[in-house]
Amino acid sequence: MFEHVLSVIIFLPILAGLILLASPASRTIARFTGLVISLATLVLSLELYLRFEATGHLEFVEHISWIKSLGVSYSLGVDGISLFILMAGSVLLPLVYFVFGTKEKGYYANLLIVQGAMAGAICAADMILFYIFWEVMLLPVFFMLGLYGGPRRLPATLKITLYTIAGSLLMLAAIVYLGVSYHAQFNEWSFAMEKMAHLNLTGRVAAVAFFAFMIAFAVKIPLFPFHTWLPDAYTEAPAATTFVLSAVMAKIGVYGVIRFVVPVFDLEFARFAILLAYLGVIGMMYCGLAAITQKDFKRMLAFSSASHMGVIALGVFCMNIQALTGSIYQIVAHATSTGVLFLFAGILEERTNTRTIDDLGGIAAKAPVFALYFAIAMLASVGLPGTSGFIGEFMIVLGAIKFNTAIGVLAGTTLIIGVCYMLWMFQRVFFEKTSSRSEHFKELSFTEGLVFLPVILLIIVMGIYPHPFLSKITPSTALQFAPPASVVAQMPAANAQNYGLTIEQK
Amino acid sequence: MEQCANYLGLIPLFPLLGAVFIGLLHVFTCKRTALPEKVYGILACVGPVLAFVLALKVFVALKGLAPEARFLSYKAFTWFSVGELHIDMGFLADPLSCLMLLFVTFIGSLIHIYSIGYMGGDKNYGKFFAYMNLFLGSMLVLVLGNGPVVMFVGWEGVGLCSYLLISFYSEDRSNVLAGNKAFIVNRVGDLGFVLGMSFLFWGIGAHGFDYLSLKANVHHLEPAVALTVCLLLFVGATGKSAQIPLYVWLPDAMAGPTPVSALIHAATMVTAGVYMVARFSFLYAGVELAGNIVAWIGILTALLAAIFGMFQEDIKKVLAYSTVSQLGYMFAGVGVAAYSAGIFHVFTHAFFKALLFLGAGSVIYALHHEQNIWKMGGLKKKMPKTYITMVIGALALAGCPPFSGFFSKDEILYSALATGHFGIWAIGVLVAGMTAYYTFRMIFVVFHGEPRDHHAYEHATDAPSVMTVPLIILAIGALCAGLLNLPGIFGGDQVVSHWLAPSLTEHHPHGGVFLEILAIAASVVAFVIGIKIAYTKFGHGAQEPFFSGFADFAYHKFYVDELYDRIIVQPYKAIGSSIWKVIEPNVTDAPVKGVSRLYMVLGTAFKVFQVGYVRVYALYMVLGLGIMSLLLSQSLN
Repeated sequence: MFEHVLSVIIFLPILAGLILLASPASRTIARFTGLVISLATLVLSLELYLRFEATGHLEFVEHISWIKSLGVSYSLGVDGISLFILMAGSVLLPLVYFVFGTKEKGYYANLLIVQGAMAGAICAADMILFYIFWEVMLLPVFFMLGLYGGPRRLPATLKITLYTIAGSLLMLAAIVYLGVSYHAQFNEWSFAMEKMAHLNLTGRVAAVAFFAFMIAFAVKIPLFPFHTWLPDAYTEAPAATTFVLSAVMAKIGVYGVIRFVVPVFDLEFARFAILLAYLGVIGMMYCGLAAITQKDFKRMLAFSSASHMGVIALGVFCMNIQALTGSIYQIVAHATSTGVLFLFAGILEERTNTRTIDDLGGIAAKAPVFALYFAIAMLASVGLPGTSGFIGEFMIVLGAIKFNTAIGVLAGTTLIIGVCYMLWMFQRVFFEKTSSRSEHFKELSFTEGLVFLPVILLIIVMGIYPHPFLSKITPSTALQFAPPASVVAQMPAANAQNYGLTIEQK
Repeated sequence: MEQCANYLGLIPLFPLLGAVFIGLLHVFTCKRTALPEKVYGILACVGPVLAFVLALKVFVALKGLAPEARFLSYKAFTWFSVGELHIDMGFLADPLSCLMLLFVTFIGSLIHIYSIGYMGGDKNYGKFFAYMNLFLGSMLVLVLGNGPVVMFVGWEGVGLCSYLLISFYSEDRSNVLAGNKAFIVNRVGDLGFVLGMSFLFWGIGAHGFDYLSLKANVHHLEPAVALTVCLLLFVGATGKSAQIPLYVWLPDAMAGPTPVSALIHAATMVTAGVYMVARFSFLYAGVELAGNIVAWIGILTALLAAIFGMFQEDIKKVLAYSTVSQLGYMFAGVGVAAYSAGIFHVFTHAFFKALLFLGAGSVIYALHHEQNIWKMGGLKKKMPKTYITMVIGALALAGCPPFSGFFSKDEILYSALATGHFGIWAIGVLVAGMTAYYTFRMIFVVFHGEPRDHHAYEHATDAPSVMTVPLIILAIGALCAGLLNLPGIFGGDQVVSHWLAPSLTEHHPHGGVFLEILAIAASVVAFVIGIKIAYTKFGHGAQEPFFSGFADFAYHKFYVDELYDRIIVQPYKAIGSSIWKVIEPNVTDAPVKGVSRLYMVLGTAFKVFQVGYVRVYALYMVLGLGIMSLLLSQSLN
């Protein structure tokens, strides 16, 4: 039974979502269904987490041949890298059903579908399957943003659609290119991800394919300068959608880079890593600086999220185990901190009817529990030791220093940039005197306080005792840096400089 | 070499648990019936006092060991381990951390007791003690951490508490701004700390990233890297310990309640930078240039802050600048490789500066939150206990023999002289005179002469004994602490220096009796001149002065805050807003908008052909067929 757990985690929410869409269920039933399904998924994911053995390789593998003539298969599996992104989604998504007033049925249906599709993209071990889930997960976002978003939702929807379509097309082309290359080199069709690492890709076409993949993922992360859809989309989307986008979906972009780009295009990656790392750092600083002037707290959080994603992406580009592990850890930390901050922003907006920072004030005195939770999430987001945010950020900066001193030093400035806009916002929203809008701010209800508690505790536990989490990640990240057996065998000894040349001659 | 002592972990744990417990109590009761203050008061003191008891136990345990084997360690758990990076959540008690531990827990406990009285009636009484306990726990992590990363946890933790407590009266915008400033400026320093740690790790950290392993491997470190690491770590120290150029947050930090200023911004947290340099003495001792930079930054900070201190009118700001100035001395000490002298000054300073702040707090408390010294006067008769204890503190600060400050300051100045740093010594002596002047200016204006505000004067009395007893205990400390490290010339044998020796890499300079006497004589003369000037100007009451020229410039603190605002804060905001308003719409987002516009243009262009008449479409068909058949015939031929 448990060997199909991944399929269940993927298709249970998708099916439930589709049934909801087709059925004449009321809003309340839709909300309740969503809650039950997401909790069921959570239970399964926890079971999965406990049974995960941290071998470093894919576990819980499912493999069914699908299109034999092209070697496409329905294959799933998780390793230490994907496990945590999967868990972040499963742990956080049930929260959405507890907070906020009841919304339309379609809203909950779309949430369920996006949850399943994201899980699919994370678990897919076949490129075609990945691509399908990747596309499916974008549709609900399109609907949620376009149907249930804020007043300026249409331009935002247009922009995100343009970006994603461009990215997806490039990725599809690149996937086809990989499949064809595999056929040419090994005389059989396959789209299995693990096999792609054996490909020897050189020349201009390989570089083009590399950038096709990179741009598709860069849009999703988003990596500077492909981030311009984000502020609009994050601000206009309903809180739950923003939460899904920032907490999980952005991470799938990073995951894509780790899964596709790094192992398959190792030579191109090594060549362009420095460029990409600069993009990550510039994005971090650019968005962090832009965040400080925002008057709308949701938009400020959007820029903050983009800024942090720059650091997370940087960790992947630094090509050492500390930075990469730090990135993956930071993915979860960022999901629990910034993701939760977006939910809190939603609560603030719902209860005060404003998103303008300067309209608020004095909320800490009115709602101490809410302020405490918000402060803990905020401190994690600025990377305070003792919260989950520090571990990842420290390892990324440490790794960046090893990779390139200048990049490391620039990456370190995230310590300062983050704290500037966050504290200033916190001051104007939670401290100072109350305004007419915040005068009657309602404290979190008992249920709300209770459902956020596990996440808040997770932030602290992950900061104080990260070892159990890291020990599930490191076997997989270590494998990323173990040279593939084939290359080692073929490489003339001690001539790492001619690495590229050697393979070309062969 | 080191022994295991599992109670080490409990020392920070007690206050931390106290913080969680009190915090939860406060959160759950503050909206309903608030708990009686006594409950919080007692709960708040449990953690610090237990920590102090355990600190004594550590001291006894270390004392029982041979001097070179005085290392107790405890590994709580593996914190994180990735590749060659392996960090334990571990604690180390050696003579250095034990000394810090003793006075931090002792003074911490006293200030908690004092706060029971001082904070009485505050609606956030519980929150205050939760933060105070959290601070103490973080400070103990900082002191006891067995390596730089664990130290950094405490380092940032105390920074957070400092922020929370500075902006404690958060309804007032300026208090929160002061808190933000403290946090952000400290973060600038922390960046230095993190980068320094990173370079150190890639230098020699792979063989263990705790102090003892680092000390054992330090000779493998390349000199250039060692210099970089030393300077970056010192950037961290300038942030936390308020040195040039990052000192600007500390005077503003006086916005917090006075016990906070005493505990965090005078006695303990701000000395963390000095502790860190001493902790890394094995590193700094090998890099003379770094030591010189530390010493010069320190002594120049001492001078600058002393200049500012002479013109302040807020009693807490006088003390704040004096703290900055004394911290400068400490860095001068550790900079000239006299680590034990620097640490000894940390130790004595904790007593007399906490005493002065708590005394100032009593005055402020008695005068209903009046802080301007020019509204005080003649309080000697009304508040005799406060007066006497504060005079003892002032004498110690000013460096009057035989008070504690004299011995510790003299040790630093003598070390500077004996190692050939004449410039540092000369400035140090000058600053000693200035210290005596501004300290007694404050004492005379506040306690002597005639009362300036009669209404406030009438109601002023000594504080209740929960506040005066800590003052008296600290006064005894300020009086006697110096005797612990009596130099040979006074018949002592430098107990503290010898105690610290196993933890530090230092060579005691031997300058000879002449230099020793010269140093002492210069300090005493400077003290006498300073106090003489203060007495002639303010001893019999004086009017609030009007500043002009240089004095006015110094009164405005050389406009450094304004300068930073102009060259850092405003440009920072301007860059942010130009990114958002100019670059984003016109540069980064332009191609995307261009694409959608392109589609519009293409659509409009093609619209021309869609006229809607069947005859026109028939024409298109004929034209198309014609072209196709033409092409076909061409290719067939």
